[in-house]
Amino acid sequence: MYELPLLTSSQFVTYLLNGISQGMIIFLVASGLTLIFGLIGLINFAHGALVALGGYGTLLIADATGSFWAGLAGAVVLVALLGLVLERSVLHRVYERPLLGFLGTFGMYVVIEELLSFRFGDQTRQIAAPFPGTVNVMGASYPKHRFLIILVGAVVAIGIGALLSYTRLGMEIHATATEPDTAEILGVDSARVYTLTFVIGASLAALAGGLTGPVTSVSPGMGMSYMILAFLVIIVGGMGSFKGSLLVSLIVGQITAFGWLFFQPTYVRLGVFVAAMVFILYKPRGFFGKPEVFE
Amino acid sequence: MSAVTELRQYFTETKRWLLVPVVLLALLPLVSEQYFLSIATQAIILGLFAISVDIALGYVGLFTLAPAAFFGIGAYSVAKLVVDYGSSFWLGFPAAIVIAAVIALLIGYGPIKRRIGLVYFVLFTLAFGVLVHDFTYTATWLTGGSNGLGYLTAPTVFGIDLSRTVPYYYFALLGVVVVAGLLYWVLSSDYGDVLHATRQNEVRMRYLGYDTDREKLIAWVISATVSAIAGAMYVATVGIASPSLMAFSLTGEVTIWVVIGGLGTFFGPFIAAFALTVFESYLGSVLPEGYLLILGALFIVFVFVLPDGLIGLLQRWRDGE
Repeated sequence: MYELPLLTSSQFVTYLLNGISQGMIIFLVASGLTLIFGLIGLINFAHGALVALGGYGTLLIADATGSFWAGLAGAVVLVALLGLVLERSVLHRVYERPLLGFLGTFGMYVVIEELLSFRFGDQTRQIAAPFPGTVNVMGASYPKHRFLIILVGAVVAIGIGALLSYTRLGMEIHATATEPDTAEILGVDSARVYTLTFVIGASLAALAGGLTGPVTSVSPGMGMSYMILAFLVIIVGGMGSFKGSLLVSLIVGQITAFGWLFFQPTYVRLGVFVAAMVFILYKPRGFFGKPEVFE
Repeated sequence: MSAVTELRQYFTETKRWLLVPVVLLALLPLVSEQYFLSIATQAIILGLFAISVDIALGYVGLFTLAPAAFFGIGAYSVAKLVVDYGSSFWLGFPAAIVIAAVIALLIGYGPIKRRIGLVYFVLFTLAFGVLVHDFTYTATWLTGGSNGLGYLTAPTVFGIDLSRTVPYYYFALLGVVVVAGLLYWVLSSDYGDVLHATRQNEVRMRYLGYDTDREKLIAWVISATVSAIAGAMYVATVGIASPSLMAFSLTGEVTIWVVIGGLGTFFGPFIAAFALTVFESYLGSVLPEGYLLILGALFIVFVFVLPDGLIGLLQRWRDGE
């Protein structure tokens, strides 16, 4: 039996912030997935590998140049380019066949992860945080890097939200997701929209991988657990619903942060999985998913 | 009339042709060294596993990411009974079958009855697979956690010590041939035709009065049960039931075997699983970490270039002649 532990205010703040920063990483992974999923209907299993590539890219470039920021930017650009190549070379051919798309990206996941493990070994590696040290928040000293994660997550959320709502590209994405044929007739170059969306999704994956490096360290399989969680998040949040995945990511972050006060961490994860399975069965469109976004 | 005779001839011919690999496999211990034979034992069991997954993936089109969960349930059923309760190895098999069937029914009923889409089914089974793996890892009281449940060896029957390599190889071969033979018989019967037709045009099958949900659910349970049987046979070859038998990587591997062999071709997945498992052990001595890399690359080639798999390739080659 677990007794309800009494939290001091500083502990409470620490857990709360842990939850938010964890949720933001999940969101960064989930937002890329949900864009690709919502628009293209592709279960992009390579996403987890792109997260790991982002982590390793940041690590290597940061080691070489001595700057975390150069590393992060370099990794995001390189992974975006890889996304562009993958999408243009093979993936765009299988959009009509979701099974092949899923299998193909799964193969890519295996190859990229094994290449990483082949080249760098399976041991985890740490990236030095750009702002080491802690800040004092309401009696709790909290690592600066986690604040950075929260900040970047918030900026990305607002940025992508604005992109989808206020720009021409955002409108074209909505149009292509809802009525691909009509959009095409009205002059939307849907192939370009698909490619751009895939590239944006890939960059978000790399961003997540690079940012989480200083906290969780980098390993070839690092993307997998995030990706599984992110898949479930976008289901509960609703396929293709951007604010849904933000909200659910933050909720999952909080559940993970506070849940382990009462249960073993794995049981918290199990609870999240069970919840996701129930959602798939009884509310497959999630909180916010609109039926026309997907299907 | 002529079509029917032709078909019958075709099937008898295939069946006769089938005896060749079985005889070859039965003769293997005469020429093979012990080490290779223990790999071959695992390879034929994994071949049965691949066939069971092909039923769900290829015959019904239920794209599951949980086969390793059922494989592991079979392995743990045997290990739990033998290691923790000291009961008979043989009791493990009915236990594995019953447990796997019940869990498959519970897990499959909702998604199949509600006819959730491909994407949702993939993610539903992914969640279930990870859940089972994580649970196995955590629930130390039931499964021994990361240490697993060990060690166990197969017992002695009629004076034959099954824990030795050659006898266990024959035991596994017998088991695989019997189970695979039964499956083949079921799938070549009218029921197999119903499954094929359902995959091609489910709505029309419903108009014709078939309860397609029920047929799919039955196939799903059969698939999970045979996966569990394979797991139950497999565990004695490694001597320990550990969470790695339920890991996602095993699901990934078996999916790759099935696709490379050819979805819905029955023999293709067996051949691919057997060949690639043997290849893995060969590669292990040359390039230990390259197996999954090569497997993944091969898989990508098959998915994008030859989605019909090995058997499809053979058929195309035969038709081209």
